[in-house]
Amino acid sequence: MTFEYHEPRELGPALDLLARHGQDAHLIAGGTATVLLLRQGLLRPGHVIGLRRIESLGGIARTSDGGLRIGAMATHRAVERSPMARAYSPALTDAFASVATIRIRNQATVGGNLAHADPAQDPPPMLAAFGATVTARSSRGERTIPVADLAVDHFTTSLAGDEIITEVVLPPIVEGTRAAYLKFLPKTADDYATVSVAATLRLASDGTVAAASIFLGAVGPTPIRARRVEDALRGRARGDIGEAAALVGEEIDPVDDARGSSEYKRRMARVWTERTLAQLLR
Amino acid sequence: MTTVAARSSSILTEPEYRIEGRDKVTGAARYAADVAMPGMLHAAFVTSPFPHARIVSVDASAARAVSGVRAVITGADTRPARFGRRLQDWPVLCWERVLFIGDRVAAVAADTPAIADEAARLVVVEYEELPAILDSAAALAEGAPILHPDSATYAYAGGARPERSHQNIQGHGVREHGDVEAGFRAAHRVYEHTFVVPRVHQAYLEPRASLVWLDGERVRVVTTNKAPFALREHMSASLGIPEARIVVDAGHIGGDFGGKGLTPDEFALYHLARATGRPVRSVMRFADDVQGTNTRHAATITLRTAVDRDGRILAHTSRVVFDGGAYAAGKPVATLMPGDAMLTLAGYRLPAARVEATTVYTNQVPAGHSRAPGQPQNSFAAESHMDLIARDLGIDPLDLRERNVVRSGDIDITGSAWHGTDGHVLLARLRAASRYDVRRKQTDETDGTGLGVALGVRHVGRGRASTVLRLENGTLELHTGVSDQGGGAHTLFQRIVASELGVPLDRVRVVREATDAVPSDPGVGGSRVTPVQGSAALDAARKLKARLTEVGGSLDGDHRLEVTGEASQEGHESSMYGYVLEAAVDVETGVVKVGRATLVADVGTVINPVALRGQLEGGFVFGLGQALMEELLMEDGRVTNPNLGDYKLPTIADAPPLDIELITEHPGPGPFGAKSVGELANPAVGPAVANAVEDASGARVMTMPVTAEKVWAALSARR
Repeated sequence: MTFEYHEPRELGPALDLLARHGQDAHLIAGGTATVLLLRQGLLRPGHVIGLRRIESLGGIARTSDGGLRIGAMATHRAVERSPMARAYSPALTDAFASVATIRIRNQATVGGNLAHADPAQDPPPMLAAFGATVTARSSRGERTIPVADLAVDHFTTSLAGDEIITEVVLPPIVEGTRAAYLKFLPKTADDYATVSVAATLRLASDGTVAAASIFLGAVGPTPIRARRVEDALRGRARGDIGEAAALVGEEIDPVDDARGSSEYKRRMARVWTERTLAQLLR
Repeated sequence: MTTVAARSSSILTEPEYRIEGRDKVTGAARYAADVAMPGMLHAAFVTSPFPHARIVSVDASAARAVSGVRAVITGADTRPARFGRRLQDWPVLCWERVLFIGDRVAAVAADTPAIADEAARLVVVEYEELPAILDSAAALAEGAPILHPDSATYAYAGGARPERSHQNIQGHGVREHGDVEAGFRAAHRVYEHTFVVPRVHQAYLEPRASLVWLDGERVRVVTTNKAPFALREHMSASLGIPEARIVVDAGHIGGDFGGKGLTPDEFALYHLARATGRPVRSVMRFADDVQGTNTRHAATITLRTAVDRDGRILAHTSRVVFDGGAYAAGKPVATLMPGDAMLTLAGYRLPAARVEATTVYTNQVPAGHSRAPGQPQNSFAAESHMDLIARDLGIDPLDLRERNVVRSGDIDITGSAWHGTDGHVLLARLRAASRYDVRRKQTDETDGTGLGVALGVRHVGRGRASTVLRLENGTLELHTGVSDQGGGAHTLFQRIVASELGVPLDRVRVVREATDAVPSDPGVGGSRVTPVQGSAALDAARKLKARLTEVGGSLDGDHRLEVTGEASQEGHESSMYGYVLEAAVDVETGVVKVGRATLVADVGTVINPVALRGQLEGGFVFGLGQALMEELLMEDGRVTNPNLGDYKLPTIADAPPLDIELITEHPGPGPFGAKSVGELANPAVGPAVANAVEDASGARVMTMPVTAEKVWAALSARR
């Protein structure tokens, strides 16, 4: 494993390096994913560009409209401990706090997590349920991508090769919205999810569901939006969610692996969707 | 003047400071992978991608052409060398056929690990795939390929290899006592159950590492092997070098769990060192270790037991088939089976029994020794079986065990009289310590919660050992060949010697040395360190004490005394332990949450109180991993979860509270009445969990591990 390591202090030079070396360059943020891939020989870049010295990529702050901006290089632990993130929604805190162990969370970054696009990760479904977007910069300019559209397949994103995620922006939460992140861990506390469910839900004044946004992790090639469940929930009262939750099985595509069979995960997706909704409607 | 005092018992009651603790905590401790030599080369291996294939050709020319490559050797260079602890059936490098995915065909020595890896990838091997045996049932089926047609030519240490009825058998045993048929004829009920236990890995965190170089006439070896003298013997036998010319140095070992008695690298490293004239090191990646070395044996176990109306056992038969994988090399015992392969219903009074156990060759990763070999498999079967019997007879599971547990002199599964813990004492203590009757009532009244009971048995270690104790210029030095694999051996020796001589601990230094500087030692394993090597240390202290009069009775001054302590422990004493543990089952998901557990263990005299608890607590968590989640998932001979991200081990957050009660008042054969404790915790966790799960939910899982999905499936089948 030999490569040239670059560590620019500004975003501009980082973008230039990425543009210049193209496929031969790979970004490293916290390194929790990249180092594993390098060591396993799955990545063999000629150039590795470290982002840790670029100060503009850090920080967590409320936006003027009441949303939240998380710099791409903010660590999971920083989000977990951020009063601003908790004030935005405790469910956001939960999603980041349920990642692996403190050692990993102290190192892994929000942008790195999203760029890695492992479908079993915890933050992406929650960020997607909140309607978050990422800002992607390249030497060609800047664009905004919904988190829900970022991952397109296992470990594959819609980012172009010369783009760097600079931030995640969460929109203001509509008054009365509830949110939850539940992670099913049948083995160990530090494991990836067997199934995870992120949901936001808003009730109308009559107590029925006015709006819902539900994303599942670890049951398909990307976080999966449970649109049929969302549609079926609209107008339902609490205590009447089982039928809607049952529809989740039609929307997901889990694989057999060390965390369970496809059939088991399908059933667990239903159980955990129901549990998440029950928690939100308590 | 420092004189020896009467034996100091206070030393043994104080919590110990670990001799090597500071070095480990500060990072000063050097493990085999940390050792480097000037001019050292790095090894990489070319391995088979097929579970069974004929090697048609090997072309190493492209690999040899890589800059920085110093040698590439193939099976043609090492044939006919094979290695193994008892049976030398594992080729150093294959030359004719490969028998599992991971079997080695060629080895490279290069300037860096990356170059070695790159060169290994460039070795072109042409294979002709052959039909593979992927499970133990297929090994003895008609028309099964014979994996070792030349086995008659293999070296077998210590006599003649036992006869076998089929060439795909590694080892076989049958034992019978009493009138089995009469027992079954007289039965009120007969129960038969079959259990399956998968391959698991020891999952030590320290990688296997070896460094070999030639030092004039000598072959020097630095290794993670926990039995350096045995490795010396094996290398001598395999490579044809006199033992006196081989020096093995095994220092700190970062986790063993039974797996580091076999090391496959040193043999090829010797050839690479000879070919290059330079030191050559290998450090194994975890994935290669999992796919390439001695895992625990998968087993299929059928138990059949006859009981009378009160649940008393009249007769028992059993059939155990272990999947030995491609080579038997990892097994040190003469039978070529896991050590306790035939203890299928240990700890119970058995008027009549017939036990049959077989280890077979398959095209899977070679199975070898793993913590308490044979016990987790047999314990899972036996203690689940006992619970199923109790449930069917409507007898409380602890009561059923009380009716059948052995007392001194009873005939047990071995067909001999039991010597060891009085089972009634143990179960009474377990009942009291766990508040069994109260908790039984509580769990019966609470949906989704249950209690699991399991009994465990383990022999006190046997064997011979010697150690040197030297008094020089007022300093006492114990010279030992025992590597500390984490159990606290050196601290134990220090406390034994200081205690016996009545001197402060800091007067006794423990010096571990390589095989050329200390008497031969059997190594760490078989629950041997405390009763055997510990007894040798005590013997040394006593001999020194007896000779102190020669120097005026004082430890001070410039005189020199040297004694060799010896121990031979050939008794057949065993200890018992038992669990009561609580589990809650989430019936919608099958998730098992183990709650408070109680472990009662008969440990005899305690020498290292902190390490003893650590051994028991660690053993419990080790057992819990295998009970709930650990399994090497195999697909056509390939491990599909060869990393600690997918092969999960319990974390501290997953460890439930454990109450430990020690039985210390019945002395054992070890120093000051000590026994062995290393395996008085782990094997019985699996069945205790399975039993608690059925008690909690009605779901009975007959295979390990008891995963959430299996519990969920069992519950779904009942609905």
